[in-house]
Order: sequence, then structure tokens, then C-alpha cells
Amino acid sequence: MTHSTEVKRADRKAYKPGRIAIIIGATIIAVVLLAAILAPWIAPHDPYVQSMLARFRPPSAEYWLGTDRFGRDTFSRILYGLRITLWTAAASTALAMVGGTAIGILSGYCGGRVDRWLSAANDLLMSFPQMVAGIIIVALLGPGVTNLIIAIAITAFPAFYRMARSAALALRDRDYIDACRVLGYSDTRIVARHILPETMDDMIIIATLWLATAVRTESSLAFIGLGAPPPAATLGGLVREGFDNLLDYPGLAIWPSLAILVVMIGLNLMGDGLRDANDPRASA
Amino acid sequence: MTVLRIDKLRTTLRLGGRDCDALREVSFSVAEGETLAIVGESGCGKSMLAMSIMGLLPAVARISEGRVILGSRAIEAEPESRMEKIRGAEIGMIFQEPMTALNPVFTVGSQIAEPLRDHLGLSKSEARKTAIELMERVRIPAAASRFESYPHEFSGGMRQRVVIALAIACRPKLLIADEPTTALDVTVQRQILDLLDTLQEQGEMGMLLITHNLAIVAGHADRVVVMYGGDVVETATVRDLFRAPGHPYARALLASLPRVDRDLSELASIPGRVPPLAMLPDGCRFIDRCPHAMDICNRMPPTVELGEGQGHTVRCWLHVEGGEHAADG
Amino acid sequence: MLLTVDGLKVIYPVKRGWPIPKTRLLKAVDGVSFTIGAGEALGIVGESGCGKSTVARAILRLVTPDAGSVVFAGTDITFMPLKRLRRLRPKLQMIFQDPAASLSPRMRIGDALAEAIRVHDIAQGAGIDELVGSALTEVGLSPEVADRYPHEFSGGQKQRIGIARALVFSPELIVADEPVSALDVSVQAQILNLMARLKAERGIAFAFISHDLGVVRHFCERTAVMYLGQIIESGATREIFDAPGHPYTRLLRSVSPVPDPEIVSASAVAEGEPPSPLDPPSGCRFNPRCPFATEMCRSTEPELRPVNGRHIACHHAETLPPTGDNRVR
Repeated sequence: MTHSTEVKRADRKAYKPGRIAIIIGATIIAVVLLAAILAPWIAPHDPYVQSMLARFRPPSAEYWLGTDRFGRDTFSRILYGLRITLWTAAASTALAMVGGTAIGILSGYCGGRVDRWLSAANDLLMSFPQMVAGIIIVALLGPGVTNLIIAIAITAFPAFYRMARSAALALRDRDYIDACRVLGYSDTRIVARHILPETMDDMIIIATLWLATAVRTESSLAFIGLGAPPPAATLGGLVREGFDNLLDYPGLAIWPSLAILVVMIGLNLMGDGLRDANDPRASA
Repeated sequence: MTVLRIDKLRTTLRLGGRDCDALREVSFSVAEGETLAIVGESGCGKSMLAMSIMGLLPAVARISEGRVILGSRAIEAEPESRMEKIRGAEIGMIFQEPMTALNPVFTVGSQIAEPLRDHLGLSKSEARKTAIELMERVRIPAAASRFESYPHEFSGGMRQRVVIALAIACRPKLLIADEPTTALDVTVQRQILDLLDTLQEQGEMGMLLITHNLAIVAGHADRVVVMYGGDVVETATVRDLFRAPGHPYARALLASLPRVDRDLSELASIPGRVPPLAMLPDGCRFIDRCPHAMDICNRMPPTVELGEGQGHTVRCWLHVEGGEHAADG
Repeated sequence: MLLTVDGLKVIYPVKRGWPIPKTRLLKAVDGVSFTIGAGEALGIVGESGCGKSTVARAILRLVTPDAGSVVFAGTDITFMPLKRLRRLRPKLQMIFQDPAASLSPRMRIGDALAEAIRVHDIAQGAGIDELVGSALTEVGLSPEVADRYPHEFSGGQKQRIGIARALVFSPELIVADEPVSALDVSVQAQILNLMARLKAERGIAFAFISHDLGVVRHFCERTAVMYLGQIIESGATREIFDAPGHPYTRLLRSVSPVPDPEIVSASAVAEGEPPSPLDPPSGCRFNPRCPFATEMCRSTEPELRPVNGRHIACHHAETLPPTGDNRVR
């Protein structure tokens, strides 16, 4: 380490990129996550039990955010909705990350014909707008949470594929990969031990950012009726239900919308913060 | 006439909540028509020195003591808006990587013409004519027809010539060349250095040649300042330095150079490495690696003049009369 | 002979042009032949783009040659399947220019070395640690550094680690691609001395790629000079540098700076830079820059042929004026 790198590092430390964003984002996500996990214990009412006597109640001590047209407690339904929404988002992002990273590294490391074909296939997938792709896939697979996860994963795949591919392409020409070859390491070993770990930081950052997109995709699909089938509560589904009585009882659509907003802000803050903190120019 | 005088300059860095001196008591001067080389290895403070002179210090660094006098004016405390003018018109700068000084989306000619219009107030056609003359002076072949070329159409050596044309455009008094040939091949390196020599003789500029390469110093500088760990450890004419280096570091550095013109049995090497900024010792900063280190070396050595009036100075206790015993008294 | 390279060619397809790119063939290495004996160091020198690094990469099969042969220790490895080549790798190692980039950043030094040992089953159990320790000691590092990560080391130390990693295999040949050009001079001397010791004590042969003639003179018994993909002169290092034969070698030698102000270097240097290897000139590739070029040089390509105990690719090798001794005594 020369003195000039020391100086540059100190110079950047003065700005502390991303630190505050990460803290705020992580706090929001922690609270949301905790609420979702503890929903069965902290929800004041059963989210599925209908009560014709308690329809369209305004917010009160008993029903914090009021009730819907079947007399179900909105707050409890949002808590339970968080569970499905977050699970769908997390599972689909994880699926896309594993698939995209594996195939992306393969593509970038092998290069040549393999890379050309895989990239072309990926471009084809990317040429569909995300929502359209999601709609087509759900329509093909049929409704249900699992199919929803697969559909969202497919729409998220290109982002991971492209990142992993470009990382592998860049690493492939780095001296230390050449060094591995000279040392007589097999391609499997080079990829698993020397390329994959190098890409992980980037992949985790994109995953955080894509979680937010997955939440949005899930909500959008649910909003147009392609989400988890009723009576399951998802945030997008709640907004859709609330929409039917928007003029008379706007709270029913607004509260779950706010919940989506909070989750997205938390995830984006964390993702952007992680990205800034991990900026190669900011690390040694 | 003195073009640049640096007087007891101290540049302080704030690192991890502590102040460290990146430069200590740096003093030297550059005369008109003279090439002064600043030589040292990475971590010696030569880049920090260049940034201190040009007013381009990073946010964590500041000049805490001393003066930078350009011509007859002290510029170390000038605000950035004034420094911008000074940098364009009175100090010409050449960097290691020419593309850092060139904008890839503008033609080479327009980039050379720009300072001519800004600082000298030439009209568009005058600026164009002068820019082509400058391109000819830095020996860019077919200058007029290459006026409209973009930087990427030039080779590394040609780009560096463009940067040189840009640097001398406003006839600066001082030219700072920071590792100007490090990224270039030897044949091109030689062409660029010869060009700088010629231009400097014609324009009576003072030149500060900042480099790690002692071999090019031997052929292209008049005087040398050797730096180590932020200190000027030796100042001498090129001949004196190579014939009779006084500081143990300068001696070791010269002995570690392989030579193309003769066989050497073994290269002298300096054990260890430059300590990190925050761990630089308070006394002589070469103490950990010096074969002659004494107790007194824990105190900052004074600058001692060797010989008579030759301007050969060394900052080392070895050259202080009775220095070995000074610690006892 | 430990390594015999014969008629080696490496051709890259290059896409150039806009909007419809055309594929053109870049002959990075165009018919290169040389040998390296056991325990011998061959320097391969030339400017950037001359193909010297591609030669290094082709020897190690990091690029596959398009023609010619590379025979290492009696085995033709030119087109050997990479899987089979893996077993030969330990005897044929490499040291890289950028020591930071040649180590996996997330791996402790000890783990990186141990991985190499395990892959080739050179030692087991406690023997691995022992071998790692002895390799680190041999390059002048303490065995305790095995627990640290690459970024904790200076450039010179990283280069030592790179060498240690090659040493665990007890290689017969090390290809060193600009191993010291990223290092400070005093550290460069440390590494050169270390490599010289390995050559003498362990009898390791080196293919030493460098642009620095001084370093090559110090380290290599024999030297090959490359220009635009071809060797234009080869022979004993001392003879080539003291009395360069080929006009290009003369140019290279005359522009290589000598760290001695008493030596007045040849005054004028020809302007011009090497042409692109994409379209090399016809005849002798050096003819556009050569002061001795004749009609024959422009039409007929000279072959590398024996002249006075060395090999020179020049039609006029015998009749060129003797090289001026530019030393001032």
C-alpha cells in the first residue's frame, strides 16, 4: 500500500458513503420482517375470519386500521400480507440469484459460442417488459404462490445473469485467474474457489435492490388479479380489494399501499447504501 | 531569476483522527531555464508536493506551514478560483497519463486553442493559428491536418505531445512534469524528454521534473532533490549527486540501479519498506532502514551544506560536525 | 534443451471499423524461435506491442499458438490437451507483472500456497504447512505471514509471495513477465537478487520478459530482441548491449537511459513510433524507421541468421558501421 492510496482512502472515508442509508434501510427492513414473522402472535384479529357485523369499521382501538367489506381487520391482514409478499419476493430473488449467477458465470467464463447463445437467450427474455413477462408466465403456469415465485424469478433472472457474466468476463482476464491456470487448477476449481466468491458481493447488492422490484412485481401482479388466489392476503391483493370501495373507504387501499411503500423504501435504501459502501473506488 | 521557491513547506494530512506530516520542511527553488528533478520512490511525498504547489490537495490534506512562491507572489493560500487561473496560465502541467488531461469528445486542436482564448484573449482564428504553431513546436507531424483529430486517434506518445502543447500554450513560467514518460516506451520516452529539454531552453521556463526514474534524471535534469518519507534528504547538482551522494538513502538508491552499459555483480538493495504515513518516525524517517542509524537520528536532522557554495545539501546527522555526540549534550 | 520454441505464431482476429467491423488478423507473434537451457535466463526485450508478453503466454498455453511448436523438457506441449498439460504445470511456472493482481484477494497467503500443494498432491497433512513455511522463508518472508491476506503486503512482498507460490513446485522453468517493472527501484533490486539466487542455487531457468534493458543485462545470460512480432537479434546479453548489431537494437540501446550524468547520450533520436502490428511494413519491418534502409530492405524480409556469433535479422548486418562508443572516459 503506497501513501497515495492511504490518502485517497482517508479522503473518501470523510464522506462515509452509504453508512446512514444502510442503517435506516436495515432498521426499516428489520421492523417489517419482525412484524411479518411475528404476525400470528401480534395480529390482533384472525385475518381470514369474516364478520358481517363489523363491516367497513373506521379505525378504532379494536380495529386499528378499520375493517374491510367482510369485516376482516385491515391491520391483521396487512401483517399477514407482508408474510406472503416478503416470502414471494425473497424466494423469487433467491431463485433468480442462484440461477442467474450460475448461468452468468458459465457464460462469461466459457466465452465463445456458449456465451453468444446464452446472451442471445437472455436478450430475448429481457426484450419483454417485466410486467408483460410476468403476466405471460403466470398465465401459462396458472395461479398459486409457487408459480408466482417462479414467474417473478424469471423476470429477475436477466439482472443477475448480466452482472455475473460481466464479472466473470472481467475476472477471466485477471492475472490471478491466469495464475490459477498456470498452477494447474481445473476449471471447476477456478470457478468455484476463485471466481464465484469474487462475484458474491455484487450479487448480494443486486439481490437487495431486486427484492424491492420483486415486491413491486408481486404487488402489481396481485393488483391485476394474477397474484396469490383469495382469500390469501398479499399487499397487492389488499390494494386491489380496497380499490373496489376506494371512494367510500379510501383507507382500505391506502394502508396496504403505504406498507408497500415502506418496504420498498427500506430495501432501496439498504441496496443503494450497500452499493455505495462497496463501490470499488471506496474500498482498498 | 527564481521561478518557484518552496520555503519550509509542511503539508499535513488528517488520517484516522490524527495529523501526520506528509511533507516536512521542504525547501528548494527552481531558476529560470533550469530543470529541477524531484526524485523518490512511492511514498516519498513527491506527488503530495506537486499537489501542494498546484493547489490540488485532497480534502484531508492542507498546507500547515511554509510558503509556495511563484515568481514573486505567494500562492499557497490563494482561493481555488484564483488557482484555476494560475494553473492554466502561469503553471503548465504534464501528467503520467495524457488522457487525464484531455477530453475525449473534443478535437485536439480545440482543446489547445481553448486556453489561448480564455487566458490570452485571442480571437478564434488567431487561437487556431497559434494552436497549429504549438502542435508544430511539439513536433506533431502534419499538425494542420491533425487539428481536427480526436485524442483517441493519437498514439500514447502523440497524446503526451498534445498535453505538452497544452501546457506551454500560455507561455508559463513553470512547467510541472509529473512522471511524464512513465507510461511510454523507451524510444518515445526519449523523444518526449528531448522535446521537453528543447522547449524549456527556448521558452526559458523553469521545469520541475517529478520522477522515480534516476536514470532519466541523469540525462535530463540540472539539479536534483531527493525525497524520502516527506523529507528532502538531499539537494545537489546532477553531477554531484551521482558522483558523491551524501545521504545514506541516496547512496543506496544509486547503488540499486541496474545498468545497461556495464555488468554489476550484485545490486545493493535497501531492506524493508517505507513505513505507512501514520507510522512515520518523528526523527529521521529513514532510520529503520539506515545502516548508519544512531541514537541522535531519533531527532529530526538539520540540513547541512557540503562543499562550498555548490548548493549541495544533505539532511543527515552523519554530516553534522560531532553529530554522533550531539545526543549526549 | 529445457525449452525449445520453434516457428511460434500467435494470431488474433481483431474487429476494426465502423459501422460494419471487418475482421483482420493481428500477428502478435510471427515466427519466433529460441531455446532455453537448464538453469539459464533468456531475456526477451522489446517495446509494447512487440509480442513479448504473448510469447510468454503461449509458452504457458494461456493462449494457444496458431503454428509452430513449444517443446518443454522433451514433451511437445503446443497442442497438448489442457487436462494432460495440468500434470506438467508444476515444472513450468510463471511470475506476473502486477503482484497484486496475481493473488486471489480473498485468500490467506498460506491457504493460497496450500491449495497449490494439495491440487498436485505434493505433500500431505503437516507436510503442507512445512512446505508453505519453507517456501516463504526461502523468499525472505517469515512463515507467520501465512495467516495474512494479500492486501496487507507491499508490492515487493506480494511479488515474493508470487515467487514462493511457484517455488513450492520446485519448477524447472519460470516465465517472468515484467516481474519488477511495477516495483520501486530499491525493491526491484531485492527481487532481482532473490531471483538471481534461485537461478544459482536451485538451477531454475528463466524466460525473462522486460522492457528494461538494464534489468535484463543484470539478470540474463542471453537476450532476444523483438520488434513487431519477430526476433530481430539474439545472442549473449553482454555482446548485444555493448555492440548492438541490428539497427533497432542500436536504437533501443541508445535511448535506454543510463544513470550516469558523465555519459553523454547520443544526441538526436529518430522521430517516429513503431507501426501497428495490424499492418506491418513490407520487407524488413523496421525499414521505415531505419537510417540504413535500402531498396532490398523495403522489398525482401530478412531472415534471422548467424552473424559473428549471434543472430541478426538484417540484410546489412555485416556492412553496418560499427556502433559508436558513446562513453566519455
